[in-house]
Order: sequence, then structure tokens, then C-alpha cells
Amino acid sequence: MAIYEVEAGERFGVVGESGAGKSVTSLAVMRLIDEPGVIESGEIRFKGRNLLELDDEEMRELRGNEIAMIFQDAETALNPAYTVGEQISEAVRHHLDMDETAAKERAIEMLESVGIPDPGQRYSNYPHEFSGGMQQRAVIAMALSCDPDLIIADEPTTALDVTIEAQILGLLKEIGDEYDTAIQLITHDLGVVAEFCDRVMVMYAGHPVEMAPVEDVYYDPQHPYTVGLMGSVPRIGDDRDRLETIPGRMPDLIEMPPGCNFHPRCPYAEENCTKREPAFVDVATGTPADVSDHDTQMAACLAHTGELSEQPGYEVRVRDGSRTEPVESTDGGTVDE
Amino acid sequence: MRRIYESDALDRDDEDPFRPGASDREEPRAARTLPVGTLSETLFPRRLRHRSISVDVSTPRDVYEAGETVPFVVRMKNAMPFPVSVPTVSPVLWTWAVDGHREASHVPEIPTQEPSALEFDRGEWKEFRRNWNGMFQVSESEWTRAGPGEYTIHAGVNVESASAKGVRDETTIEIR
Repeated sequence: MAIYEVEAGERFGVVGESGAGKSVTSLAVMRLIDEPGVIESGEIRFKGRNLLELDDEEMRELRGNEIAMIFQDAETALNPAYTVGEQISEAVRHHLDMDETAAKERAIEMLESVGIPDPGQRYSNYPHEFSGGMQQRAVIAMALSCDPDLIIADEPTTALDVTIEAQILGLLKEIGDEYDTAIQLITHDLGVVAEFCDRVMVMYAGHPVEMAPVEDVYYDPQHPYTVGLMGSVPRIGDDRDRLETIPGRMPDLIEMPPGCNFHPRCPYAEENCTKREPAFVDVATGTPADVSDHDTQMAACLAHTGELSEQPGYEVRVRDGSRTEPVESTDGGTVDE
Repeated sequence: MRRIYESDALDRDDEDPFRPGASDREEPRAARTLPVGTLSETLFPRRLRHRSISVDVSTPRDVYEAGETVPFVVRMKNAMPFPVSVPTVSPVLWTWAVDGHREASHVPEIPTQEPSALEFDRGEWKEFRRNWNGMFQVSESEWTRAGPGEYTIHAGVNVESASAKGVRDETTIEIR
């Protein structure tokens, strides 16, 4: 279960290991959870409406129009039997009520904006005639074509080379700023999150473990899992022989560990962590988190509710050129920034 | 936009074995899609279906130390030489419990109204492996460790009165 809010124009990052529930959380927003999965309870509110109360027809009107998704795997997202251009203009015709010529023009314009060379010619190409990166860009063009209010981008740049990645992120940023579009970015790339997002939610085993403005998460992580994630990022000029990893792996969601789901892998876990599930709290006060307050740092660790006998100790160093300056110094793990 | 299945691009004929049949238009079918559920429902009484499925739960040892995880294996077998489908009360097809507490939890589960079915191929074995961590969930966010004593692990197909229908088994272990 995850509780979070994304404001209009905000760029919200969702990070975590594979299997943490990032994609499922986003698919739930679109009500695209596959059988036999169901949304058991809760609310998904979009512009004041609870999406779980809409019928299928209303939901179809919303998808691709007001909420668009950039899927992880472009090759499977595109229909191999139709031209790329047709697939983009279909969405435009359906949602924006444009005629064929106008929709085609719009589709070509979108292909151009995502950096497809010679878009007029490429409009009539089938997906197999596009490279992987171009397919990904076509999927992005499709998502952007109807000027959505919320874009859910599920690892949109994973298959792209870094120059195109920078262009696409720049384009998303531009669209977000210009049209006040909210962007929920799911990614493994912590560098992209740092660069692109305003706020970030770290997920583990289907739950948010930390949520805060991006600077707070990077400079002052408050959950041992976030510390582990940050520690495992490779850095240029780093003299470590091996990258720090988080030992163990994500639990099987059928057999979740009791108490804090992270305790089997947590270097700071105590007996209490095996018996109590930590609440998602404001780390400054230890009171239940208010997700509508976008400036506070929230985390789910017993350390913040005073239920651990010892506080987790780790060190965060901020490197500025050759200077290394310890931000917080206790003992245990290190995170370099 | 015209979809490929709306087009007349394919030449269909029910008589010609080398052309796609006209009746296949609605639903493309895979090579092996025997509607086990429907056939089982129409031809085989539910009571006999339950009887044809056997369930066995076992643990590698009988005695465990406190704090140790208890692994257990649930095996189900369809004794019939034809496929059998057992209707279940929810999409959770089988369940396990410790001393009557589902998945060792005192927290009531969210009820689902959606029935489903556990399907077995002819003579099929199914094997599931799970672990009981030696703890009971006492509230949404709290767990307690099971004290020394004897505990019974049950497992069975998720049907009403599974024990009476013979689709449930149990085994007893001791925690020291």
C-alpha cells in the first residue's frame, strides 16, 4: 500500500529495486492491474474524482488523454501491425477530436519533438523499422500527444543512450513547466532522479519507506534502505574496489517478513524490528506522516518513533571537487554524494 | 481505424482444413484449450471432484527451536485420469493456517466475493513450499513469537468446510 500525492506541475520520482512495486503502483493509478490482481481497497483521486468509482468508458476517456503512461518496454507497447504514425494519430483523433490530416500533422510534430529524424517519412514506418531507442521515443511521443495533466513515465529512458536521455528528460521538463503537467517518474537511475525530480518516494516490498524533497533524500537519508541505495551508486573518481551493495534480496511478496519488511537485510535491525511494522512518520516529529505536506521528510523506520534502543549510524559525505566534507558523522555505513 | 480482425484479409472457410475457420473469428484459440472448468462443472459432480483431490502437508522435522523458521510442503494430487476443476471461494486458491489462524494471523482478512477455481490436469501433482516464521500476527502492525508447545499447520483448497470435503490436511510440530 502506498499513500502519496503529486501536485500539478510537480516532478515526482519513484525509486526502488526491481520488484519493489513501483510499476504496479503506477499501473494501479491507470487501473491497468492485470488479472488476477485487484485493487482491494483505498482511493485514487485525480482532479477531485475517485478513479475507482469511474466506469470503464469514463476510464478509457481519461487514459491517454488526461493521464498518459510511457511504458517500460516500448517494443511490446507498440502494435507491430500498424505504422508508428498511425498509432500516435489514433490517440490524437480519439481524444482531441481532430480530423485525419490534423491528427497526422500533430503526430509528425510529436515525432519531431522527441528527436525522430525525418518524421514525415518515419510516420509511415512500422515499429520493426525503428531502433529500440526510436521505439521508446515513439512511445513517449504517443504519451505526450494529447497534452496530459499527469504523465506516468515507467523507466522512459532506460533503453536510450545518454544524449537522447538528456533530450527526452529536457522535453519532459519543458512540458511539465509549460503546461503544468505532473510527472511521476519511475526509475532505477538515481542520477536521473537527482537531476529531474522535485520530490522522491523510495519503495520497498510494495510500501513507501521514505518520501521527501529530493535534496533531503540525497543529503540526509532517513531510512537504512535509502542509505543502502545511495551507497550502491557508482561514482566517477571513486577509489572503492567494489560497490557497496545491500546484502540479500527483496522478500517474496507472498511471504513477507514480519514487522519491518526490510529487517532481514537491515544492518541496524533489532529484535523490535521483527515484531513491529514501522508507521510512515514525519522524521522530525515522529508523528504520522501528512502526505499533503510536500516539504517534510517522511520515513517508515522504528528509529523515528523512538522504538529502537540504538539509533542507526551512518555517515553522509558531500564531495565538492577534491573537498570531502562529512555532513553527519556517526558510525557504520557511508554514503557519498 | 480498421482493426486487422475486422478486415477481410484472411480467407476463411469451415470446410477447408487448410484455411482458418469462420467460427474461429471471435476468439483465437490456442492448440490446447480444453475448457476444464466447464467440462468438469457439467460432467463431474462437485462432491466427486473434491474426493478426487488429495492434499498432504509435511514438514522436514517434528521439532523446532524457538525463533527457527518452519518450512512446510503442501502437495495436492488429482487421482483422476481426466482434468478436474475445484471451485474456490476467492481468487486465493489454497490457504494455510497455524492453529486455525490463517497464515498465522489473527487479523481478519478483507473478504472478496469473487469466486475462482483450482484446476488440475489429469493425474496432476501440485507442490507448494512455504515457511512459517514462528510468529503470529496479532494486529495490523504487531507480531508475537509463538511460545514453546505444539502447533498444528493446516493447508487445503480454499473451499467452504475444506476438512469435511477432504481437501485439507494438517501436521503437528513442536516448538521448544
